[in-house]
Amino acid sequence: MAREFQRGHKARISDLTAGTDLYVGVQISGPGLTFDISCFGLDANEQLSDDRYFVFFNQPKTPEESIQLLGAQAGDTESFRVTLDRIPAHIHKLSFTATIDGAGQMSQVGPGYIRIVAGGEEVARYAFSGAEFSTERAVMLGDFYLKDVWRFAAVGQGFDGGLEALLKNFGGEVAEEEPAAQQPQAGGAPGFAPPAQAAAPAPSFAPPAQASAPPAFGTPAAPAPAPEPAAQGFAPPQAPTPPPAPAPSVHAAPTVAAPLAPPGAGTVPPPAAPSPYGQPAGQPGPPPGYPQPQAPTPPPGYGQPPHAPAPPPGYGQPPGGQLPGQQGAPSPYGAPQGAPQAAAPVAPGVAAGLEAFREKPTGQRWTQQNKKMIRVDLGMGDTPVLARQGSMVLYQGKVDFSYKGAGFAGRIVGNATGQEMQLMRCTGRGQVFLAENETQLHPIELQGDAICVSAENVLAFDEPLQYEVRRIEGHGIPGGALFVMQFQGTGTVVVKTHGTPVVLPVTPTTFADCNAVVAWSAAAQAIVSSQVRMRAGAYAGASGESVNLQFRGAPGNFIVVQPYEV
Amino acid sequence: MNKQLAGYAPAPVAARMENHGNNILKVAMQTGNDLLARVGSMIAYEGFVQYEPNPPAVRQIARDWMTGEGAPLMKCSGDGLLYLADYGADVVVINLGGDAISVNGSNLLAFDASLQWGVERVKGLAKFAGQGLWNVKISGNGYVALTSRGKPIVVDCGRGEDETYVDPDALVAWSPNLKVKGKRSFRAGALVGRGSGEAYQMGFSGEGIVVVQPSEDSTDRLRIRG
Repeated sequence: MAREFQRGHKARISDLTAGTDLYVGVQISGPGLTFDISCFGLDANEQLSDDRYFVFFNQPKTPEESIQLLGAQAGDTESFRVTLDRIPAHIHKLSFTATIDGAGQMSQVGPGYIRIVAGGEEVARYAFSGAEFSTERAVMLGDFYLKDVWRFAAVGQGFDGGLEALLKNFGGEVAEEEPAAQQPQAGGAPGFAPPAQAAAPAPSFAPPAQASAPPAFGTPAAPAPAPEPAAQGFAPPQAPTPPPAPAPSVHAAPTVAAPLAPPGAGTVPPPAAPSPYGQPAGQPGPPPGYPQPQAPTPPPGYGQPPHAPAPPPGYGQPPGGQLPGQQGAPSPYGAPQGAPQAAAPVAPGVAAGLEAFREKPTGQRWTQQNKKMIRVDLGMGDTPVLARQGSMVLYQGKVDFSYKGAGFAGRIVGNATGQEMQLMRCTGRGQVFLAENETQLHPIELQGDAICVSAENVLAFDEPLQYEVRRIEGHGIPGGALFVMQFQGTGTVVVKTHGTPVVLPVTPTTFADCNAVVAWSAAAQAIVSSQVRMRAGAYAGASGESVNLQFRGAPGNFIVVQPYEV
Repeated sequence: MNKQLAGYAPAPVAARMENHGNNILKVAMQTGNDLLARVGSMIAYEGFVQYEPNPPAVRQIARDWMTGEGAPLMKCSGDGLLYLADYGADVVVINLGGDAISVNGSNLLAFDASLQWGVERVKGLAKFAGQGLWNVKISGNGYVALTSRGKPIVVDCGRGEDETYVDPDALVAWSPNLKVKGKRSFRAGALVGRGSGEAYQMGFSGEGIVVVQPSEDSTDRLRIRG
């Protein structure tokens, strides 16, 4: 039930969890790279005025132990314990950063995350990957910052220099001689024994194992009787079960556990759900099973005119930011697909009426806005995008559109099919919304692999992708041949389909209508098989499905077919 | 058989206008609370509803719409339930509550006759989309229903550092207080038939929202049928 953050998302901690004793885990890794993960306690001017509040490998905790470095555990490369209510008043911001030790750059980083765990429950997670960065050597992952109340922001901002530069940025002095370690890390806080494998007596404080490892349910860090019962309700992992720790969970249990009780049932909002509607912060979680507060019934106070200046500070989140992920995530607005929205009178105001259709916040280079529209943030990655001409519906920022010939091969496509594959190059900085003719869009992220897409079904792709046009000839194919673009490299291809496609595994007997096939994995081989089986009773010229493509390939290959025969 | 179809029965009326599914608008009609709807958008009704295409009052306000051939609106009055749709387009219901919105003419489905409305031409953009870009500005207290080919997206105009540019064919609605201007992205290449395909855009600036649809099909289907 962790809330997924995107870059730039913010939320009040109190909306995430009622606890103030938090575990912050950072996972970041890359081939051959080592990372220093540190926490900067900054003052109101965002300066490191007190370098005792720079928590890193040499200084594993602050004087009053409000921030402690815990080391690697439970799948996290580094972890911290943050006790918000013990943080001194002059610290206004905690910035969690990761810097590369030695050579390397952030673009080599694999998928990672920063997450917040409270009461044994992961309450927030901001996932990032190296694709969001380039040559940076450091990255500010997330901030806890004090604005009336403590809040969390997913920052994900790269930083060119290394740790020293980062330190300088925060106004710290770079002493070659780092401040002497106050205490070896291993001997850290008693109640906070490092992970189980360290043979520590009692890990009363253990984050959940990797959220993506359901089999680990209940196994990791089985809580031995905690030596320090006042372990602040840091009950061990595994959301759905009631915290097995005998520790009297001071704050976590009643407020957090209650709304989370039925996490399996996708209807329960994340703990922080109500925040977008500006409801009071300390509001207790909605009762279990309470349907997601839906856009059509926001409290009347929300009728915010669209031209209101900036959203009030308490607003916390970019509009629509409630959506945890962008793809596949059940829409918390519950806009019931196809089902009548019963008994949900529309609240007054244009903004309220359109709330369900808000732009999804920026997080990645490609963001699917809904099934039929996709946004590309050109500023992210700084590479141009090639898109089918005329597919732009809206853009913000300085974007330049220019003609891009499809090359010689593209010309052939044009001549043969009568419809030239015309591309435009979108360059600059800004966001471009692409859509075409109500077709469903599917961003496919290639990471070194290759895919063949029928040329008519390509909507857009990152320019760094290598592509070539292939021609599959066969009698009976309209236009004489089927044109296929094979993409290879690292980047995203957006494929459009009419209707919901079906993905089939390639078996020895996989056939597809050449007009309906959309894409296939490049390792599968397409063969034209003209199946003209004339039966005695067949009426002339109507053999129906005459030209099929047969696919051959090793297991693991797939083809994508749309319910629409062009 | 009834069992399987029962799921599509109308939900109890809760508001003046509601969605039935994504593509059907259900309007609870009452005497004295008339509705203006696009001609040809009615798909069914229950009760006593009367239709008057292009009534004089509407003709007066909308005399500029299209090329003066009158507004493609009909006044619906009576009591009952009225179902409207536009060739399977998504329907978006907005309770204005005192706000105002500008709607592209062909994306307007219906609105309360009690609202203030007027037809205006977007300056300098008359020749942009095929039929000229006419928009209807609606304000007041009442309901408006828009259509969108595919689920629309609402973009905050003021959010980007720069202006927001929209393909006029994909534009559905916008906040009337936005500044609108046309932009031609002419480049040398465009002159020899090699344009980027995005020759005209409408630029919006200011604080407000812009609604776009995931389709560049701006044909007015209700109008084509006549």
